[in-house]
Amino acid sequence: MLLDFNRLGGLRVALSAIAFLVGAFLLLPIVVIVLLSFGSSRYLQFPPPAWTLRWYEELFDNPDWLASFATSFEIAVVVAVAATLLGLMASFGLARGRFPGKEALRALFLTPMVMPVVVLAVALYAFFLRLQLNGTFVGFVIAHTIIALPFAIISISNALEGFDKSIEDAAVLCGASPLEAKLRVTLPAIRSGLFGAAIFSFLASWDEVVVAIFMASPDLQTLPVRIFSTLQQDLSPVIAAVSSILVALTVLLMAVAAIFRRGKPA
Amino acid sequence: MTRPFLSIRNIEKTYGRVVAVQDVSLDIAQGEFVTFLGPSGSGKSTTLYAIAGFLQPTRGDVLLGGKSLLSVPSNKRNIGMVFQRYTLFPHLSVADNVAFPLRVRRQPKAEIDAKVAAMLKLVRLETMADRMPAQMSGGQQQRVALARALAYDPPILLMDEPLSALDKKLREEIQIEIKRIHNETGVTILYVTHDQEEALRLSDRIALFNAGRIEQLGTGHDLYEKPASRFVAGFIGNSNFLHGKLSRSDRSITLPDGTAIQGVALDKVGPGQGDVSIMIRPDHFRLHNGEAAPRLVGTVTDTTYLGEYTQLTVLTAWGGALSVRLPPDDRASPVEKGQSIALTCAPLDVRAF
Repeated sequence: MLLDFNRLGGLRVALSAIAFLVGAFLLLPIVVIVLLSFGSSRYLQFPPPAWTLRWYEELFDNPDWLASFATSFEIAVVVAVAATLLGLMASFGLARGRFPGKEALRALFLTPMVMPVVVLAVALYAFFLRLQLNGTFVGFVIAHTIIALPFAIISISNALEGFDKSIEDAAVLCGASPLEAKLRVTLPAIRSGLFGAAIFSFLASWDEVVVAIFMASPDLQTLPVRIFSTLQQDLSPVIAAVSSILVALTVLLMAVAAIFRRGKPA
Repeated sequence: MTRPFLSIRNIEKTYGRVVAVQDVSLDIAQGEFVTFLGPSGSGKSTTLYAIAGFLQPTRGDVLLGGKSLLSVPSNKRNIGMVFQRYTLFPHLSVADNVAFPLRVRRQPKAEIDAKVAAMLKLVRLETMADRMPAQMSGGQQQRVALARALAYDPPILLMDEPLSALDKKLREEIQIEIKRIHNETGVTILYVTHDQEEALRLSDRIALFNAGRIEQLGTGHDLYEKPASRFVAGFIGNSNFLHGKLSRSDRSITLPDGTAIQGVALDKVGPGQGDVSIMIRPDHFRLHNGEAAPRLVGTVTDTTYLGEYTQLTVLTAWGGALSVRLPPDDRASPVEKGQSIALTCAPLDVRAF
């Protein structure tokens, strides 16, 4: 290759340094937050004067935080399932269907990813007012599913387009009904795409804050919303603890997604 | 004649104004090996897909044992098929792939196990039962696909260019395997290929497709020795095509240099006379021995010694190039480049279209 890293000579050092700095720039705030969550200073003093688990104790003693954790988790799980199912059906249409306007439809499905989230949030808020869905679990799920759907569709339709339709045809000739062939052959063959869709849909809902602020009610707040509203009152290290848990779960899910992708048959 | 096992009747398939297959009819006997041969886009795969049920013909019918297949969905047709592309289920082991059609049919486990073992033995892959498809070569994958397609004892096995992704040596090896499996199981096989050598090697009969029609149906020998049309003559084997003038009164054809060939095969020429196209196979030429009837003179422009025969390029008096293959007994006096040469051929081997 023209730009072979091993042949760059002196530039290699510079390039490594730049890569290191970019990595540090991206990771440092997260590292600082995690360190602060274990620091003893109430005013988020850095570096922390001493280490403590006090903020985690406070967090787990507070029913409001725990309720928000549960709310976020429940919504994200339902969104993951809903977006994956809808994404699967949409992907079959996009990958296999032959109809005019298919590319336009594909672009339409992906608009939630490029549209300013706040526009989507205002529109959904106005719409849900009429349906009285604001502040409800169903409202949250619908709103987050819209945001998660493009991730699910990209992940699943990539997997489906890499899957040879002849394999499904072979299953049908072997005696499987078209539905049975999809369930027993196609879905297992694209499972890494399905898991990817579920994980990214979960994450899309799990850390979403803009739409959630519009959807939330005093009784129903997701974790990011509670972090945001708590921040407006005071800057407690409990927030650092909550954030650390959010980060930990996200990293865990990304790792799971990466493992699934590696396990994908060549 | 007894009732045909599989009967394809006047199949036609059109896509809008495009005609993919028109008026294809064919009767196939039980246990026969029939190949659909033809260039790509000639309708051979379309016909196969109509039998498999992946597409519905615009017109016509397919009968198996006297019953129409068209209203039966693909999964109920009980037909075996090996595809051009590798279609093993990627998440299942070799044994599970072969067992799949039997599990779908809810057969008892003991029967399935016995059948899977028997099928893997048939394709000589007993030791690979636990392999995953990704760990196997293309040739091995196609053999597993064959085992899977035969596991439920289908009355017909369809094969859609199953070897086209393999290299030549492997292809010949698996052709021998297919021939053996056909003999051992007695299954009726419909085989699609664009490779004439493969068709000649495997088939009892060949249906040569061109532009959506069957151009000629017959044994390999029929197609090579008695081509029904110029297309067949050009597709099967190598041919020299020459222009000549036909005179019906003495059944003779005159070549541009005045050489007259009498008694040629005229069964494929329409009525009338005048300009015709004639075909002579390279291996039908012999060195002229002084008395034989047609005497065609030319200059050797190229010779290639190939052991089994010598390949010559001969420039005729009117400037056309002839491809000539001389057998070993004519090699006694070596033919050299630049030499003038006199050739002859049996008039019945000359075919006019």
